Order: sequence, then structure tokens, then C-alpha cells
Amino acid sequence: MAGAKEFVEADNAEAIITRIEHKARKIESLLKQYKLVEALKTALDGSPPMTRDERCKSANWIVVHRAIMAIKDIDGILSSLDPEYYDILMKYLYRGLSTGDCPTCEQCLRIHEKLRERAGLGCILRCLADTVNTS
Amino acid sequence: MASTLRLYLTCIRNTLEAAMCLQNFPCQEVERHNKPEIEMKTSPELLLNSVLICRNEAEKCLIETSINSLRISLKVKQADELENILTKKFLRFLSMRAEAFQVLRRKPVQGYDISFLITNYHCEEMQKHKLIDFIVQFMEDIDKEISELKMSVNTRGRLVATEFLKQFI
Repeated sequence: MAGAKEFVEADNAEAIITRIEHKARKIESLLKQYKLVEALKTALDGSPPMTRDERCKSANWIVVHRAIMAIKDIDGILSSLDPEYYDILMKYLYRGLSTGDCPTCEQCLRIHEKLRERAGLGCILRCLADTVNTS
Repeated sequence: MASTLRLYLTCIRNTLEAAMCLQNFPCQEVERHNKPEIEMKTSPELLLNSVLICRNEAEKCLIETSINSLRISLKVKQADELENILTKKFLRFLSMRAEAFQVLRRKPVQGYDISFLITNYHCEEMQKHKLIDFIVQFMEDIDKEISELKMSVNTRGRLVATEFLKQFI
């Protein structure tokens, strides 16, 4: 059963990576137009769930990272973001915090504080507990 | 600089508040044994995802949780060789006296300077928010302690050198 899923994923991986590249181009254009909320939503939207393939996850992380670093007004962005994106965003924030790169960490820490105020501790706990969809 | 410290500590405090959800869980493999599952790591279903929070390249904090125990490992900022030695000696001094601290681990996890191990028994005896306050306060005080030690070493060195070299004037 698990074997079949792995096999399907190998084929899908290429498709997912192409999709992520399309997404990256779309996000670049949205960022140029200063539509930061749209850019973030697009980045978080196609997050490949249940993918074990590291390349897909890394590719998606790069795209989300670009969107996160472009954020200046955190409160504004979070108030216009739908609650369903909070959990996914939190997972990517933790991934950003584990990189150790100074500007990324600073930005992620800022967003983390505001997001926790909005989404509460449950958001953090769902990140810790979710072993199925890791970012 | 100070604002990133505040953000870093807030992030760690929030993560700990969420992660410190411990309950008693007797060992599944061995009868009548009760071990901190985060140290044994035998069953993956008892472990939560571990979280690494970095402030910058030098300072980081690893938080690993399981059903009955929680391990927090810290890497303290060390700017130069002297701070390196002072940190190592000071934290070794504390780790040797881990019994007195109760939540301290005798040996830090590989790659970190100091580690805490909090079990469900600690949470039952002590208050959860006080434990978290202790950890965060510890992180604040460590930096101050190391700077004070460094300053006193430099002062003493300067005094000794002045006195010694006076005989050659």
C-alpha cells in the first residue's frame, strides 16, 4: 500500500516541481505589483501535502521564503489572510527559523509573534503534532 | 539587537507553552518501567516534531517533545576564544550540579552548550508557567553572567600585569 504511494509520488514529483516553478513566476509578478497578500496566498496554496520528496518541499520552501521576506506590514497581511492558511504559514515559519540565516530568522520571529497572537497556541501545537504533512 | 532578543525569547516561550503538554506514560517495552520517552526514542508515535529556533548563526534552541518528557537544548553566543572557554567552564559547573536544579540535564546534547530535561513529574510538582519563566530567565541571565565573567577576567589580568611589570620600572 505504502509502496504504491511512493511510486505514484515519484511520477508526481516532476509534475509538482513544474507547478511550483509556474507558481514562482506568478508570485514574482504579484510581488512587483505589491500585492503581497495575494503572493503569500499563492505561495501557501499549492503546498504539496503528503509529499515525501525533499525536492518538492525545498522548491516550495524557496517560493514561500521569497513571499515571506517581502512582507513589511505584518499586521495588515495577517488580518487579510484567511484562517485556514495560519497552520501552513506556522509550519513554514518554523522551517525558516531552523535555517539560522540572520534576516530570515528575524523576519520569521516577527511574524511568529503576531501569528501566535492571532491563531493561539493551538496553531503551534498542530505544527508540532502533524507528522503526516511536514512542510 | 535587543529587539531580536525579545522576539527570540517570546518565540521560545510560546513554543514551550504549546509543547509542555506532558502526561504520565509507563514504558511500553519493559514492564513496570517509566522512562522519559524523548531520551529513549524507541517509538515514533510517542514523539512530536522537534523544533529548531535560531536567532542567528551562533545562537539557537532545540525543543524536542514527547508524551511524557521535553528536552530543551541551548547554544549560547560565543564571540571569541575567551568567551568560548568561560561558557564551557561555567555551564559545565552548572551541569555537574544538575541534581540541585532538577530540570537540568547532566550532559548537553551533541552540538549544544546546555540541555534541560523536563518530565511529567516536574510538571506535576511544579507549575508549568513557572518552569517556562525559569528557562527564559536562565537564557537572559546566561548572557549577562558570561559578560561579567569576561570583564572580571580582563580586569584581573590587567591588575596583575600592572603589578608585575611595576618591578621592572
